[in-house]
Parts: sequence; C-alpha cells; structure tokens
Amino acid sequence: MQRTLVGLIAAAAVLAFPIPGNAQFNIDFGRIVDTARSLAQATTEIDEKQEVQLGQEWAAVLLGAAPLAADPNLQRYVNTVGRWLASHSERPGLGWRFGVLESDNLNAFATPGGYILVTKGLVLRMRSEAELAGVLAHEIAHVVQKHHLKAIQKGAWAKVGANVATEYLNQRSRSPVGSAAGQQLLSGIKEIMLRGLDKEDEFEADRMGVVIAARAGYDPFGLPMVLQLFNTMPQDSGLELLFQTHPPPSDRLDALERVTGTKLDRYAAQPQVPDRYAQIVGLK
Amino acid sequence: MKAFVTAFALALALGCGVAAAQSGYAIRDVAVKQEPYDDATTVGKLAEKAPVEVTRRQGGWLEVKSSNLTGWVRMLSVRMGSPGGTRSGSSGLGSLFGIARSGASGAAVTTGVRGLDKEQIQNAQPNFAELQKMQGFGVSAQEAQAFAGGNPRLAPQRLDYLTASPAAAASDTPVPGSSPFSQ
Repeated sequence: MQRTLVGLIAAAAVLAFPIPGNAQFNIDFGRIVDTARSLAQATTEIDEKQEVQLGQEWAAVLLGAAPLAADPNLQRYVNTVGRWLASHSERPGLGWRFGVLESDNLNAFATPGGYILVTKGLVLRMRSEAELAGVLAHEIAHVVQKHHLKAIQKGAWAKVGANVATEYLNQRSRSPVGSAAGQQLLSGIKEIMLRGLDKEDEFEADRMGVVIAARAGYDPFGLPMVLQLFNTMPQDSGLELLFQTHPPPSDRLDALERVTGTKLDRYAAQPQVPDRYAQIVGLK
Repeated sequence: MKAFVTAFALALALGCGVAAAQSGYAIRDVAVKQEPYDDATTVGKLAEKAPVEVTRRQGGWLEVKSSNLTGWVRMLSVRMGSPGGTRSGSSGLGSLFGIARSGASGAAVTTGVRGLDKEQIQNAQPNFAELQKMQGFGVSAQEAQAFAGGNPRLAPQRLDYLTASPAAAASDTPVPGSSPFSQ
C-alpha cells in the first residue's frame, strides 16, 4: 500500500503538474496528496455508473467480434428469460440486456453492468428454456458478484487510472491521452476474455446459477445438463475458447455435486419448457 | 432398398427424439433405484467408472442401463461422455441432446460462421452500432413478470444459495434473502 501510494503521488505529480524546470519547487504537496488519495480511492471503487459504461465498452468489443444474430424474436425472447432471472438476483435494478451472437462457437459471456451475450451455436445445442435459463443465470451470477469488474480493476483499470478511464468511457475521448487509455482498457478487457476468470469464480457462478434458475421457477438442472453436454463434446466442435477459459465441465459437475445433495430436489419438477424453446429458437 | 429402410428408421428415431441412448459412466459406486427417488427400492449397484447408457432424464435423475441392470441414479453421480473425456473425434451423441447431424460422418451441422475464436476477440474493435441494437431489445421487469405468469407459469421460489463450505459461505455470497425478491 505504502509503495502504491508513493507511486500514485509521483504519478499525480506528473499528471497534475507537468510544470517544467524550477517551477516544480512550488508544488503544493497538500494538493498532491489529496489527488493521490482520490486516485487511490477511485481505483479501488468503481461506482455503478462507471461499471455500466465499462460493461457497454466490453459488450461492444464482443459485438465487434461477432454481431447480433439477425432474429429480433429470438433477441426479445432471450431478453425476457434473462430479465425474469435477473429479477431473482441481488441486483434486480440494473439495466440488464441480453443478446445472441451470430457465431457457431459455443460460449456465453457476462460483462460488468449486466450485459450478457450467448452464442447462437450454444442456443442451437440446448434443448429447453430451463437450459438457457441455467446458462444465463450463471452469467447473471458473475455480474452480481462483480467477477469481471474485480478482474479488470486489478489490471487495466488500475494501470490506466480511474480518472482517465472514466473520462475515456464518458466521452470515448479522441484526445491522445484518452485514446491511449482506451487502447489499454480495450486490451485489458480482451485479456480477461481470453484468459478467463479465477476457477473459483466459475464454480461460484455455477452454484448461484442453479439457485437463480430455481428461484425464477425453472427446473434447476438445466445448467448441469448443459455441462453434461459439454462433457460429451470434442473440443474442436466450437468449445475451444470455453475450455481454455473455464474449468473442465466434469470438474464443474463434481463441484456442483458436492454442494447440491438433495437441496434442489423439490424444484426439479419445475418447468423445463422445451416446446416454446424449440419453436422460438427454430429447432426442427 | 434395405439401406433406405434403415436410413428411414434412423431419421424417424432422430426426428421423434426417441432415445438413441447416450453413453456415460458412474463417477463412483452408486446405488441404482427402481424409481427416481432416494427412498425407492434399490435394484443394484454401479461400480466407479461403470459404463452406462442414459435413456432419459426426470428432474435431477437419469435413467440408466448397464449390462445387467436398469434403473435411476442422480444426474450428478453420472458423467455423460467417457472417462477421461471425449476430446477429439466423434462424440457419439444421440437424441438426448438432439444434435442435428449431417450425412454419414455424424458431424454436427454448422453454418460456416465461426466467430469468437481467440483471434477474432484479439482483433475486435468495439461495435457501438450493434450495442445500440442490443439496448433496443431490452425487456422491462414488468414485461418479464407478465411472461412468467403465462403458460407454462414460472412460479417464483425463495431459496438460499448453495454454499461451498460453511466458512466460504459467509464471505463469498451475498446475504441470502437480502433483496432478491424486490420486484
């Protein structure tokens, strides 16, 4: 902490007072310490507005890699199921948005602030609304627990500095410093998507996901069924990135088994809704 | 002609979702029940890694067939696929997941657009026009509630998160019941 603070003071001095030559001797040290303090605080705390802006940037990157599937009915449907699930999370008030990406790969992504995307490849492999709900609920859990936010806070956000990052997100600044910060933030976002989260965060999202699905009135075994599906599939069938960024599906099922016991039995008869799912998704 | 009949029968089986059983295995010694309940009669036992065919699911239970018995086991005590994982080649999937197949190769049907591989993410530039579209598809909490009240009805339930361990529970997850039901 000591070292971080010193670093921040130095950084603040350079940023706030780029005064050449002997003028530096007139620096108001009280003001520098205040600036450093606010920088340090802003680095550790990202408010909800900043989180949402960051999430929008993040989702835009994903949408830059693959656009939305051109099926408004499907997009509305996934938003409806997702919004209903999110109402049973600890962050019902976020401006939740869900989307289906035009990609044959099998994957799903959460970003800070409640932007959640699932690939069309995965949508076409699932067989019921309860399975979709399980996957979306897992992603919702990441947002509730701010897993991605914490990951970027430790990396690019701290590196860029909260003030610069916020300024960039506010204005998507074209100024040299803004776009340099933007590039750094962008590569930080990509790094997390390619490296994945901590394993423990994934296990936690699974534990919470089955419960959020059950709370919303679905059969909670949709998510475990999707994990079983992954377990039967060869990696080269579009699961490469998912496998690189998540614990093996059998480990995730093991972890779920250890905590589930009989606790979900009474919800297992809740609807799976395969028919509506098949109809809207267009399964034959 | 014979080949045609076989192909027709196969198409029928796939199309109707009739179980072409999935292979799987027990992850440990597990009791096999006559019905999908804990207190149902035990009809036998599967040894660890014993191969089974999974024929259907009911809630958290799978109906399995092994060489000498048929019955129900908890879904999480079985892994679909084969021990050590199916990581290349044909996956041997059938109708439980109903994956569309093309031709005799058994390759899953794909439409050719891959997307979202490592490289595509690496090279992606933010697309704010698509983000704008995504914003437009948003659904309100009220609309979602109306949907849930339809048919089939999705009845809200109150339940706490599953805890990893008593110690982790306290720090890891939000306080159960703090605000998840405020709609």
